[in-house]
Amino acid sequence: MPFLICLASLVCVRVTAAQAGDVAVVVNDHNPVAKLSRAELRKIFAGQERSWSAGLPIRVFVRAPGTHERLALLKLLGMTEGEYKQYWTLQVFRGEAQAEPSTLPSNGMQREALATYPGAVALVNLEDVKAGMKVLKVEGRMPGEAGYSLN
Amino acid sequence: MEKDRPMRHIPWTAAVLLLFSGLCYPQETSSTDPETIRQLVQQVKDLQERVKLLESQQNQPRQNGSQQNHTDTSTLNPSNPPTPPVEVADQTAPTPGILQEIHETRGIQWRGFGEVDYKVLNQRAPELGTYGFTPGSQGNFYSGDFGLFLTSRLTNKASVLSEIVFEEGDAQTFKVDLRRMLLKYDYNDHLKMSFGRYQTNIGYYNWAFRSAAWLQTTADRPLIMEFATNGGLLPTQAIGVSVTGAIPSGKLGLNYVAEYGSSDTKRPDLNGDGQVTDENNGNQTNVGLFARPDWLQGLQIGTSYYHDQISDNPLSAATGAPVPPPPGSPGPAARFDQTIVNAYAVYVAHGVEFLNEGFLIRHALIGGSLHFDTPAFYSQISKQFGHIRPFFRYQYVNASSNNSLYDDVGLRYGPSFGARYDFNDYIAFKAQLDHTVRRGEPDLNGLHLQLAFTF
Repeated sequence: MPFLICLASLVCVRVTAAQAGDVAVVVNDHNPVAKLSRAELRKIFAGQERSWSAGLPIRVFVRAPGTHERLALLKLLGMTEGEYKQYWTLQVFRGEAQAEPSTLPSNGMQREALATYPGAVALVNLEDVKAGMKVLKVEGRMPGEAGYSLN
Repeated sequence: MEKDRPMRHIPWTAAVLLLFSGLCYPQETSSTDPETIRQLVQQVKDLQERVKLLESQQNQPRQNGSQQNHTDTSTLNPSNPPTPPVEVADQTAPTPGILQEIHETRGIQWRGFGEVDYKVLNQRAPELGTYGFTPGSQGNFYSGDFGLFLTSRLTNKASVLSEIVFEEGDAQTFKVDLRRMLLKYDYNDHLKMSFGRYQTNIGYYNWAFRSAAWLQTTADRPLIMEFATNGGLLPTQAIGVSVTGAIPSGKLGLNYVAEYGSSDTKRPDLNGDGQVTDENNGNQTNVGLFARPDWLQGLQIGTSYYHDQISDNPLSAATGAPVPPPPGSPGPAARFDQTIVNAYAVYVAHGVEFLNEGFLIRHALIGGSLHFDTPAFYSQISKQFGHIRPFFRYQYVNASSNNSLYDDVGLRYGPSFGARYDFNDYIAFKAQLDHTVRRGEPDLNGLHLQLAFTF
């Protein structure tokens, strides 16, 4: 019986740890970019940088509100959910962006979008990274490494 | 033995229950949150739609496959004419599911902005009334600007943007103003061009907030950034070409802006004398630089230099007929060089909004030594606390009494404070108190209430 209680506790801890885990920055497999600084990442997800170094247009995909990836995105941008929405309304209204980044309801769709658009970039929980997703280093670190800052 | 069996099940049942309770634990904290429940329900619906789409896509290849088989069979029979080969779908093309999800359409995207205002001023001598506000009244309701914002993506690099505003005038009359109409072409991050009617990039506010009240923290624009057609001092709009882009500058995050166009403006006098000044602006040139340094997220520092030539040509607002120029004016035939230098530092991040802008407007008579300098600035700070955002603004404009172009403006300064309350992502209520000190006139106190919305 104590063994089972311990097992149940471990399951709880694992689920909690997964929710608070590292978030990977993933791009299309053919994208030559391998690393980004946190500032570059912020500019990309804020729509201030709209093309990769090779001139390829950036297509940003984000997850729906309430997901772990979305929380990591808001933390990266230093915004609340309401501020994020208002920010993009302003960006579109200023003519700085054509539309708010596409919100996709599942990681499967993010994977599909990454495969479809050569310039696509998205945030994915580390445990949900699949084949066909190229993971970028952020500030020289891969997700899962000590000191990785996107979580 | 049979009697012992139920007893032996108890530990396993308890274990299973514990496991389930353990698995459920992380969700329990949010299960009481209606927003989370709504989001989860939405996600389930999305997934259900996605399954339907996948099922329909799965059926399509089967049909295509059967068609292909039919084609193969027909080609074996020489008596049947060859049928055209079935087109193989482009493997890189987005699937209908993704397209539907990201709404990648080439149609027109609409967005609307509106406001309903109530304002009261203790003005003893009525000033200029704008946006439907009746000067000299005890207080009245008005609807300000109702804006329709339209965008359409033409290609990956080209798009069209327009902003059509229905602005209330006197006695519930409305005029239509095509406030922006731009054909945009973004070659890359370093070269983004716009052709058409734009809002001049003099300073930060005109670029950042455009015209919708819902986007602004305060109920109104600072006087120096008010639209010229509503008594503002700056040429806020022009027709021509605007080019902007990033300058490779590493962590400094430098950007440039260059504009060339016509900013011809008729500016109504602020003091309510019923006159407008037809400035007959020549073509304007505006160049600016701004930096968004990496080391402080949310900081933007910039400067701009604007130049055009204008006249001091007073007209009656009611009839459009010329009126005698004020004493000391060189007359409507004279031209002035108008230069506007601006510098700003703003910080917008982590719920804090801190805007600071300074201006120096110089009017120099061409062919003479007469010149006037008009300094102006505003500073605005606000902080979001949940749904509420209290704000404070201080503004200052000092125009020489001898400057016939700005003789209606004079010296004006004072604070505004209030709060914005966001009911949700679409509706906000603002309450603002203003105190304005005016040279040679009694101080002006005002209360401005505003319901601003977007849809």
